[in-house]
Amino acid sequence: MFLALWPAHWSRTQRSNATLIAALLLMVLVLSLLGQFLSYFPEPIGSNAELFAEGALTTLSLTLVSGAVGLLLGTGAALARTSRLAWLRWIASFYIWAIRGTPLLVQILFVYFALPVLVPGLNLPDFAAAVVALGLNAGAYNAEAIRAGLLAVPRGQTEAARALGLPKTRVFLDVVFPQAFKISLPPLVSNFVALLKDSSLAYAIGVVELTNVGNRIQSATFQPVQTLVTVAITYLILTTLVTQVTHAIEYRFDVEGRAK
Amino acid sequence: MSTTQTGSPYIVAQNVRKSFGNHEVLKGVSTVFRTGEVTVIIGASGSGKSTLLRAINRLEPHDSGSITIGGTEVTDDEATLLKQRSEVGMVFQQFNLFGHMSVLDNVTLAPRRIHKLPRAQANEKAMSLLKRVGMEAHAHKYPWQLSGGQQQRVAIARALAMEPKVMLFDEPTSALDPEMVQEVLDVMRQLAKAGMTMIVVTHEMGFAREVADRVMFFDQGCIAHDAPPAEFFSNPANDRIRAFIGRMSA
Repeated sequence: MFLALWPAHWSRTQRSNATLIAALLLMVLVLSLLGQFLSYFPEPIGSNAELFAEGALTTLSLTLVSGAVGLLLGTGAALARTSRLAWLRWIASFYIWAIRGTPLLVQILFVYFALPVLVPGLNLPDFAAAVVALGLNAGAYNAEAIRAGLLAVPRGQTEAARALGLPKTRVFLDVVFPQAFKISLPPLVSNFVALLKDSSLAYAIGVVELTNVGNRIQSATFQPVQTLVTVAITYLILTTLVTQVTHAIEYRFDVEGRAK
Repeated sequence: MSTTQTGSPYIVAQNVRKSFGNHEVLKGVSTVFRTGEVTVIIGASGSGKSTLLRAINRLEPHDSGSITIGGTEVTDDEATLLKQRSEVGMVFQQFNLFGHMSVLDNVTLAPRRIHKLPRAQANEKAMSLLKRVGMEAHAHKYPWQLSGGQQQRVAIARALAMEPKVMLFDEPTSALDPEMVQEVLDVMRQLAKAGMTMIVVTHEMGFAREVADRVMFFDQGCIAHDAPPAEFFSNPANDRIRAFIGRMSA
């Protein structure tokens, strides 16, 4: 959407940068002005505007931190899954199998309540527990997206790089990963947007994020329609902004000009 | 160009064997490639000629026998292998340019990473190589914007950037439209003139006749014949070769 705003003679990189900066600025602006903006709304929104704004901020930071954890874990797991070492492949497969086969809500509850029992002393605060659970979950899904990307890079690319005398790590970093990442971007973006919405499950362990805020206000004011619509629209604004950022990244990698 | 240069032995293959499953593609191949020599390898597809080429830089490790490059055996030892590969340039049938990099970056990547050449210096060198293959005007384009022939010429420049002592060509014109074959062959001809040691797997009989110092005929995993081009083409050693030349020149 933003990408179309810039002058046609700008280069791909310029447009991508402009979009990135615009979307990030807008995100900061929206978050900082959300409380102000909602305070003009009728009851019960107006008087609780600050709470909504704080909830939105918590949701976004929860998503960004666990998204980063998930990206690192996903890359690691994808590499392990395609490794030549059988035990690495086995560990990665087990991780992906266990995480994808169980509900996210159970994972969040497990990290918060069961982990301190299994590992005495490991009492994570609610936000950290949510980050661990969401990060682990996103990592498993990202792993498969990145693995698909790694497998889609033609063998000839690796052969050509090896034939030049490049060491294996450079072949991976310079030739295979950038191309695999580009292929993996669309599914990674879907995973990230899903994560933003799934972060609402952190509500179950008491993290005061957007959904939690909305539910508290609706049960206190008995006005579910107004509060939940506000919550939903705030999510929509967040996901829209996040997709703008990710589109800009996708566009930057699109050297073939195939994305429209 | 068929002046026989008697350089010193550079790549020596002894009794090289390679199987894919039950199918033996190289059945004990022994030969010597000398410095400055242009060898053209011809033969039906599946006769093992590409496999020998790929065994030389270990993209396809051989099962037994030995290959030495400048006296050093080709093995899985990583450090030796990296050094050997940087001295052996390879050009592929499918070009295999790095699709996410500009033409210039394709050519500079290896020198920058391996010889730690600063970017400015690497660019300068790459531009002179691109000029040599007639691609300097396209330095900032991406591979998908180029025709097959142009991509292959960039691939040759990319291999030359490592200043290899020998160039391996694995059917470099087989994936090209007919009108682009000549531009690639011209670059190869020019390389041969400059004294580059070359091993070329190809179906281009004209090129073999004109540029090669020796022509090698592969048949079912063995070198069936090995002779200077004049002799090879005017006086085919057996009927299979005669039939093959007939088919190719038709």
